[in-house]
Amino acid sequence: MDATYLMNSLWTMVAAVLVILMIGGFILLEAGSTRMKNAGHVAGKTIFTFGLASLVFWALGYGLIFGGNANFFTGMTDFLYSGDQVKDAGLATTVFFVFQLAFAAISITIALGGFAERAKFSAYVVFTILFGILVYPVIAHWIWGGGWLAEHGKQDFAGSTVVHLTGAMAALAATIVLKPRIGKFNKDGSSNNIAGHNQVYTALAVLLLWVGWFGFNAGSTVSVEDGFFGFVALNTNLAAAAGAVAATLISWIVLGKPDIPTLLNGALAGLVAITASCAFVDVWASVVIGFIAGILTFYSARFLESRKIDDPIFAVSVHGIPGMWGTLSTGFFATKELATVGKPGLFYGGGLHQLGVQFTGVLVSGLYAFIISFLILWVMKKVMGGIRVTEEEEIMGLDISEHGSYGYPEQMVTQQKDTNVTASKTHVSS
Amino acid sequence: MNTGVLTYESIKEWKEQNISTFKNDLIGLNSFHDQIMRKVLKVAIEKLNKGEPPCDFSWFVTGSGGRFEQGFISDQDHGMIYMEDSEECHLYFKALGEELADGLAFVGYPYCKGYIMSSNPLWCKSFQGWKEQLLAWMESESWGAIRYLQIFYDARVIEGEEPYIKQLKTVIYDYQLEHPKLLKRFLANIMHIKNIIGPLGQILVERYGTYQGCIDLKYSAFVPYVNAIRILAIKEGIYETSTLARISQLTQQKEYGQLLQNCEQNFELLLKYRLSLYKVNDYSDTHYLRIAGLEKEKKKQIKQILKTGVRIHDEVIELIEKGC
Repeated sequence: MDATYLMNSLWTMVAAVLVILMIGGFILLEAGSTRMKNAGHVAGKTIFTFGLASLVFWALGYGLIFGGNANFFTGMTDFLYSGDQVKDAGLATTVFFVFQLAFAAISITIALGGFAERAKFSAYVVFTILFGILVYPVIAHWIWGGGWLAEHGKQDFAGSTVVHLTGAMAALAATIVLKPRIGKFNKDGSSNNIAGHNQVYTALAVLLLWVGWFGFNAGSTVSVEDGFFGFVALNTNLAAAAGAVAATLISWIVLGKPDIPTLLNGALAGLVAITASCAFVDVWASVVIGFIAGILTFYSARFLESRKIDDPIFAVSVHGIPGMWGTLSTGFFATKELATVGKPGLFYGGGLHQLGVQFTGVLVSGLYAFIISFLILWVMKKVMGGIRVTEEEEIMGLDISEHGSYGYPEQMVTQQKDTNVTASKTHVSS
Repeated sequence: MNTGVLTYESIKEWKEQNISTFKNDLIGLNSFHDQIMRKVLKVAIEKLNKGEPPCDFSWFVTGSGGRFEQGFISDQDHGMIYMEDSEECHLYFKALGEELADGLAFVGYPYCKGYIMSSNPLWCKSFQGWKEQLLAWMESESWGAIRYLQIFYDARVIEGEEPYIKQLKTVIYDYQLEHPKLLKRFLANIMHIKNIIGPLGQILVERYGTYQGCIDLKYSAFVPYVNAIRILAIKEGIYETSTLARISQLTQQKEYGQLLQNCEQNFELLLKYRLSLYKVNDYSDTHYLRIAGLEKEKKKQIKQILKTGVRIHDEVIELIEKGC
């Protein structure tokens, strides 16, 4: 058997494992950014939705993205993928399948971040299925599955748009439909900081995601040819670094103190932004792209808050806005030599053409993901008798209300006892 | 109902009826607080039912009350010095201290969370006991002891013998003359101030909560002035407790002319701003000033006050660090 075929398969399999480990990053990210009473729920549901998304991807998602007999929206073959190998492919199709499955799983995980701390568990179940059929595959087909945006020359190497923007737009729809968490905004229009319970988790999450991103971006070469994955990895690391530094600086300048959540988001924003452009731009440009993403995430988080949109784990400001910027960035920075898809960007003599292509791609994909997700959630809300837990359940926490056990039993049971004591005292005195 | 007999209830009623008349008058308001406290002392002695105090004493207030900068409501901060170091006096004043704390709490001064009250044996001592305690505090140089010393330096007599406090403050003054390191040690408790001016010269407002868009005048504006000026007062042996009086004494000394430029006007303005925040029937929002809705001129003024505070604070730290 051809050594290159084996090497490509092996490299892509390693990358797939790295991407799947990013799910662990998201567990820590979401758990660390939310309160103790929801920690077990966050961790458990993330594993569950990865499982469910895998099944949906196997049954339908893969075929909808990459299948034959395609219509405008999706492919129509290869459902319930049997493990067949495509002839003359550069790597094992099974490996490619697992790699793509991991991407689909990351996208839904990002989307579900918008549900944090207040959605019913059943809402996670239904949305994971519908997103995996109606939202993600359509955009992935358009850009990666030979759809109209692919033909258009849209550059999105590893999925700033396909994975991150799509997930973030669904998260935005969710957070709008679900409405802010209890206690996030006050009647007088001011907002409160609902601090996450563990910044160490969040920081470890960022590190895990950062490392996983080498699988995400460098792995998206799905080939070892010329060792190009090294170049992609280099760009990826520098963008993350620049994002972290930029976000730290901007928060220091504006808030007077370097803000930890902002700093962590900055690294992620750099990674999200470079995802589209990592294979198309020079090394210095990846620093610029990451740096700008770090600034953007800071201001977009502030903007969302000022619009009374509760984005509990910054899904929109980390994956959405930097995802848009990252996709647009190739319209400026894609070089002649590297633009193997599409054309060079504005700064490399390509004029406005590629920027226009990128803009169209972002606009159409973003709108599609938002509108369809919004409709799905709206219908779910009507049919399921609401997708948000009751006020009482939200206050007691989803660990106990949705699952019957706590992620931190010792702390939470003690707290509950205290609450009961206070409640009984109140009853006595009134 | 006013029966003419002085009780905690009648004092409370009198306080509530009259306090709003001092809306724009800080000195009047502080004198009013003094009067209330004297009345509480009177009732406390009666309620104690142990006769008149067995020896001369001095009951003092400290904190914002000591500095004559108290607003409409604040926690109680007070202590007791009595002349005779006898068992009888210990027992009497301990009981009186406890009664006073309860009485003040009844009348509307919440208990001090840091237990700086005459009911606390640390703050209720014979003159000799105080002297020993101050020396022990100065020798120990622990963070807590240094904090107590600074609190003690703001003490002002409410009732009783005036000279005791002055004599005890002299103990501190003399000690620091001999041990210049002590002043440096005092810095430890006042180094940190809330970052209020950003690198671009912008005012850093509260990001979250009910006070979003506000600044905390107490911590951002008062604390730098009060702490810096207090250190200089200790250094120069100034016994006055109000920050304004301290400033005017200090500015008479040539070496502080440059340092304290604009300090007096700014601090006076600050006091006015704070007083303007009080609403008669709502005592809660007393320290927060909303920046967003402020006129341009006022914003500029606030910024000037804050910047001067930070400058004086930093320069005093530098001066003490260099000078010792």
